[in-house]
Amino acid sequence: MTIRTRLAIATGASAVLVALVTVAGQNQSSDTKAAAPAANWTPPRTPDGQPDIQGMWTNYTNTPFEVFDESDKPDFYGGDVDGKGAGTGPGFIADTFGRKLSKGRSLVVDPPSGRVPIMEWAEKQRDYRLLHIQDDWVNFTPWERCITRGVPGGIFPPGYGAGYQILQGPGYVAIIYEMIHEARIIPVDGRPHLHSSFKLWNGDSRGRWEGNTLVVDVTNYNDKGNVATNIATQRVRSIPQSEALHVVERFTRVDEKTINYEVTIEDPKVFTAPWKVAMPLNLEPDYKIFEYACHEGNHAVPNTLSAGRAQDRGGRASRSQ
Amino acid sequence: MPRRLIPACVLSLFAAVLAASCQSAPTPPASAAAAAAPAAAILRLPDGKPNLNGIWQTIGSAHWDLENHQARGGPVLELGAIAAVPAGMSVVEGDVIPYQDWAAAKKKDNYDRWLERDPEVKCYLPGIPRATYMPFPFQILQSHDGDVLMAYEYASASRVVKMGPTEPPPVDSWMGQSTGKWEGDTLVVDTTGFNDRTWFDRAGNFHSEALHVVERFTPKTPDLIEYEATIEDPKVFTRAWKIQLPLYRRHDRNAQLLEFKCVEFVEELMYGHLRKKTGNEKPFAAARMRWP
Repeated sequence: MTIRTRLAIATGASAVLVALVTVAGQNQSSDTKAAAPAANWTPPRTPDGQPDIQGMWTNYTNTPFEVFDESDKPDFYGGDVDGKGAGTGPGFIADTFGRKLSKGRSLVVDPPSGRVPIMEWAEKQRDYRLLHIQDDWVNFTPWERCITRGVPGGIFPPGYGAGYQILQGPGYVAIIYEMIHEARIIPVDGRPHLHSSFKLWNGDSRGRWEGNTLVVDVTNYNDKGNVATNIATQRVRSIPQSEALHVVERFTRVDEKTINYEVTIEDPKVFTAPWKVAMPLNLEPDYKIFEYACHEGNHAVPNTLSAGRAQDRGGRASRSQ
Repeated sequence: MPRRLIPACVLSLFAAVLAASCQSAPTPPASAAAAAAPAAAILRLPDGKPNLNGIWQTIGSAHWDLENHQARGGPVLELGAIAAVPAGMSVVEGDVIPYQDWAAAKKKDNYDRWLERDPEVKCYLPGIPRATYMPFPFQILQSHDGDVLMAYEYASASRVVKMGPTEPPPVDSWMGQSTGKWEGDTLVVDTTGFNDRTWFDRAGNFHSEALHVVERFTPKTPDLIEYEATIEDPKVFTRAWKIQLPLYRRHDRNAQLLEFKCVEFVEELMYGHLRKKTGNEKPFAAARMRWP
């Protein structure tokens, strides 16, 4: 099967999935509940005694990243809200494949408005960059440049290619991100962060176990990455990260098939307050990660720039729609 | 004195030959530690399987050319000795790669047009086995469910070796599809499903999409893995051939894979002619190229 055929099938399947989920959501929106840790469920342990969170996980969702409009009535989304319009976490429904999909008011659960507290300069920079992608590749998000979707952006639901394989070995937890084929290797042996002179696209991750929760502390970011890259993150897409970014992720396996993922994002140069995203990762053992050789076939960046130079020469961009 | 012998073993990091001589060195009067850990013992997991976990790297110049090669000047005059190519002895069994005639001609053409054609110049995924002996470290992580992650610092490349029977690959890819099994203390990795776009080195050695690679990772000491790869491609070679080279454990303090996200380093090369000119560009110096 060629990649093109596979993409066509995947696209078709996504459309069907969206349709099914929409119907299911309408039928079940009144009885969604937040996933609470199952009372009598104890996570399995690895041979060295750590909670076992290994497996193939996905996070297809139909919860919007942010609340679209603060004036929306909370129950419009059938989500997990406290009745006063405050999001307290995503609720869940099951799709027809047995996947749990979060169906909440927004993936952003804090602040209660469900809106990310972005500073004005950062929104202006985003707008400038999105309007000027024809000028320079640095105006694209690092995802479109095939560099990275970032941390935590790499785990925000992308709509396709949403596979994450978690492997655990002595002293490490590794997360394989399908998109951009990134293997994120997280030491859980207590070692300190890298020297502050290291400034990385994905930051420097250090993990530790708090009970059954893997807590990952991420620092040492560069100021070239983005907090989120895909269009499903709406107005947060292309918002820059600064070197002051500090991310704390929490992975808690609450039942055999579910990890509750929570992340707190703090960047005093970009956001007026810390904010938090919560969503489930769903075990999907039969899901296969395909190679995401992105840069090797990146026509989007050169074609977009080329179109810009054609316009500069006075050519009219032809638009098919 | 045992204290004088131990550093010699540590130095053996630089050569498998020295490791062998270290093992055969006169046995010092047994201190408790020396008796518990003879030099040749390999690390094992609680289930008895070899423990290959760690960060590994080759030493040598196979990444320049798998076959015998003399030192030569680099492609950019201004870089002087910095980018000159070190000499190296062939890591190919029998020294020479058995190309079919047409393929030998293509290999020579690839060598002449190296900078234009080598996928490494553009930061493309390295393929297998090239990823193993790139001049970058890679990490092996044996997961508790058996599958083995091999993550390479170069270009964020990685593969998960799925333990169990080989499976037909669903699509062609740069890194292929790897399945693994244990044969005694050797991890045997079978990889197929390649495209025809990766190379074996910077000398133009190449393959087709019919490539089939069988790698053998055999630990010899806690810090040394003997690496073998058998390369089969009936469209390009007259027979299967084999490379062999040692992998050394990186003992650097706090060793960890760092980012080498090289896309950023090749965007100017690949897209620079399409960037909107602002008038503030700092011009690149005109490098004097001498390649081939």
